[in-house]
Amino acid sequence: MNFSAFEHLDTLVFYLVSLVILVCAVMMLNFRKVIYMVLAMGGVFVGCAVLFLLLGADFVGIAQVMIYAGAITILMMFAIMLTNHEAVEPEARWSLQKAFSAIGAVVLGAVLLLVIRSTHWVVGDGRHINHGYANPVAIGLDLFREYTIPFELVSLLLLVSLVGAVLIARERKED
Amino acid sequence: MIHMPVASLLALAAVLFCIGLYGALTKRNLIMVLVSIEMMLSAVNINLVTFSRLGAAPNLTGQVFALFSITVAAAEIAVGFALVLAFFRLRKSTEVKDADSQKK
Amino acid sequence: MSMLALLVPLFPLLAGVISFFFRRLPGAFHATISVVLLIPSVVFAIVLFLYVHAHPGVVLRQVIPWLVLPSFSIHVGIQVNALTALMLVIVTFVSILVFMFSYGYLRTDERLSIYYSYLNLFVFSMLALVLSPNLLQLYLFWEMVGLCSYLLVGYWFAKPEAARAARKSFVVTRIGDAGLFAGILLLGFAAGTFNDADYSILARHGTLALPWLSEPYLVTLATLLIFIGAVGKSAQLPLHVWLPDAMEGPTPVSALIHAATMVAAGVYLVAREFPLFAESHVTMTVVAYVGAVTALFASLIAITQQDIKRVIAYSTVSQLGYMMLALGIGAYADGVFHLFTHAFFKALLFLAAGSVIHALGGTQDLALMGGLRRKMPITFYTFLAGALALSGIFPFAGFWSKDAILGAAMAKGDWVLYLLGLIAAFCTAFYIFRVVFLTFAGAPRDEDLHAHAHEGGWVMTVPLVILGLFATFAGFINTPWNDDFLSRFLTATKTPKPIPASYSHWPLTSMAISLAVGLCGIGLAAWMYGGGKGFRKVPSAFKPWYALSRNKFYVDEVYSWTVVRGGKLLAALVDLVDRYLIEGLTRLVGLFFYGIGNVLRYTQTGQIQTYGTFALVGLVVFLVVAVFRVGGVF
Repeated sequence: MNFSAFEHLDTLVFYLVSLVILVCAVMMLNFRKVIYMVLAMGGVFVGCAVLFLLLGADFVGIAQVMIYAGAITILMMFAIMLTNHEAVEPEARWSLQKAFSAIGAVVLGAVLLLVIRSTHWVVGDGRHINHGYANPVAIGLDLFREYTIPFELVSLLLLVSLVGAVLIARERKED
Repeated sequence: MIHMPVASLLALAAVLFCIGLYGALTKRNLIMVLVSIEMMLSAVNINLVTFSRLGAAPNLTGQVFALFSITVAAAEIAVGFALVLAFFRLRKSTEVKDADSQKK
Repeated sequence: MSMLALLVPLFPLLAGVISFFFRRLPGAFHATISVVLLIPSVVFAIVLFLYVHAHPGVVLRQVIPWLVLPSFSIHVGIQVNALTALMLVIVTFVSILVFMFSYGYLRTDERLSIYYSYLNLFVFSMLALVLSPNLLQLYLFWEMVGLCSYLLVGYWFAKPEAARAARKSFVVTRIGDAGLFAGILLLGFAAGTFNDADYSILARHGTLALPWLSEPYLVTLATLLIFIGAVGKSAQLPLHVWLPDAMEGPTPVSALIHAATMVAAGVYLVAREFPLFAESHVTMTVVAYVGAVTALFASLIAITQQDIKRVIAYSTVSQLGYMMLALGIGAYADGVFHLFTHAFFKALLFLAAGSVIHALGGTQDLALMGGLRRKMPITFYTFLAGALALSGIFPFAGFWSKDAILGAAMAKGDWVLYLLGLIAAFCTAFYIFRVVFLTFAGAPRDEDLHAHAHEGGWVMTVPLVILGLFATFAGFINTPWNDDFLSRFLTATKTPKPIPASYSHWPLTSMAISLAVGLCGIGLAAWMYGGGKGFRKVPSAFKPWYALSRNKFYVDEVYSWTVVRGGKLLAALVDLVDRYLIEGLTRLVGLFFYGIGNVLRYTQTGQIQTYGTFALVGLVVFLVVAVFRVGGVF
């Protein structure tokens, strides 16, 4: 067997994690119970977090685990419980729309893969992107120095969506 | 030193994006549609982080952008679920096919 | 002067508007206002007549542009020439007497204000028609005259016969109107103007032509089309059927229609376009023969009619035939002269008949009359004057005009036309004196009606007396004694060549023959109906002929079997075509788009995922094109 593709540990881990992510994604498509789908989704998110860690993006990886795998998946669980928790995807039946979606998705994927394959990707030297700090420190400095206004705007967005979500989901007495 | 092939990472992101897209277009349950959209956003994040580290000119901007993206996704999912809840109260259903007031 | 002419039609219009809006006021008010407002019109018409007489050949013309296009312009306004001036006098004068008489006749009618507003509109339309400076404006008022006739004939619309007769008159004249309109358009396209005074000049220079129709044919075609319009309006063969039916209207309306406003329009039209008609030999021959045959045909029908008004109606058809005959043989002045005298004695006959009908409580049946001479002396003597004038007995008005026509035919040497006219003259004298004897002579055949008969009061007798005087003396306007005053008046501007002297000065032979024929007719009527013998038994040998005449030569039946049935068949065919072909086609078009819509409807599910799929497919297509074609990846 030729293990040349796995000569480094991180490459091996990457392929394993990729496999997990894709398997989880396909399972998500195939499960019929909504709750299982969400669990498969959580797998995808965790896999993504591992990828981020592998890529040296510690802060983004941790944030991914906390927000996606933690908060969003739990929120989905709550949503399912609050609505129709017995919800089951009906027996998969092929319809014209489904066929077109599948064809479109496959062709899109194929085109993207062809483009990715045919492009020569230049890899720069990424060892010093953290400027000698730990990754979270570097990101914190960057956020507060370079991206102060976007950062504040995003916090405002979160606040607005929080209030908006409460308003929308609130039970209406007058109805 | 990171030795992961860039093309493989990008291919993973592309495939994940297409799976999410297919899910968003075909899933019957509103919650699952939202989940699929989150998956597409995740795929985009993979691309951002990959280019942040293994791009032609690596820097932290990609990661910062991924953080913003995650934040916006969180905000979106919060409003999205609120809408699903309101819809469920109104129609007693979470099926996409019941959200057809555009036609009526 | 032209302002005066403009005012002439406006007075009746004003009266009509007043009558229309003040309906609550009593009938006497409407009658008074109509008569009083018409007086200035009469005066102005006479002033205009004298003015035109004092300036021979003058044409008063006042127009304003109405529609100006780069290549074409339409004007409206007024135009007065000798013929117009004469027509104005006739129309206003007869109308004012009819207005007066109407009040006596319809005193108790509730809708008198509407009646007077229609009547005024009728007179206004006719005056405006006469004054029109071009054919387009003439056509406009031509149709208005037709409309007013429809309204007035159907005045008692609650009676089904009246409604039917009104409809019939409208539809039948419409056939003629279509021809007239076609003729007007043909001439308008050929000459580039609707100003008909230019037509004959253009025709004489040979420039009246279209690319696809050269001059002689165009003139013939156009004049024949215009003549069709005149045939419809003046109730000539074969479109005469509406006029006797129009007797369903009130009798004064009949007097107006027959004497001044409606049927005179047709003759007026031919007389007005006479210079153009004269350019086409074919048309002139057609006009003459249609006129002569109509004159005889209608008088034959009149012989046996039972209804007093119908007899007079057919007499109108016949007399209009004389006028057409005169115009057709080129005796322009004689035709107009007959129109002039006929207006008086025909109005008189109708009004007198109206007086009789009024006296007898509405009956028009000759079989129920008789012996009215002592009861209604004024009516009797005026009717007698009218009858003598109609029969052409010296010195009554009809003698001069009818004899002038027959004399002209004789002088032209056209013996067929002359004989047709002569036989018609004999029948005329016979049928009108049959009416005289049956109505006034002998013993009353219905004692009840006879006992209640009475004269209709001064509003009815004064018009009768005035018209009686005119019927007696109007002919003297155009006699050899005054050197044919009216002919000179008319021809100063109109006919290109003067009438040959051979018959304009004492055509004694013709006069003697006409007089003798008239007297024979009267004599026969006296022998058959005089002395109170009433209706005679018709000898069996004449039975079929009698029935033929009595049933108006079955023209109505023939029309009903051919034209009406044919029309209905055609309409059914058109209906089929319309329903299944045209409507089918439109339905097909509709179905086509309905189908497309139905197919496209499935794309509009309201499902967000469906729309997403469309977006995805579109995106993929763009991307594929971008990558493989533009991007040059492979």
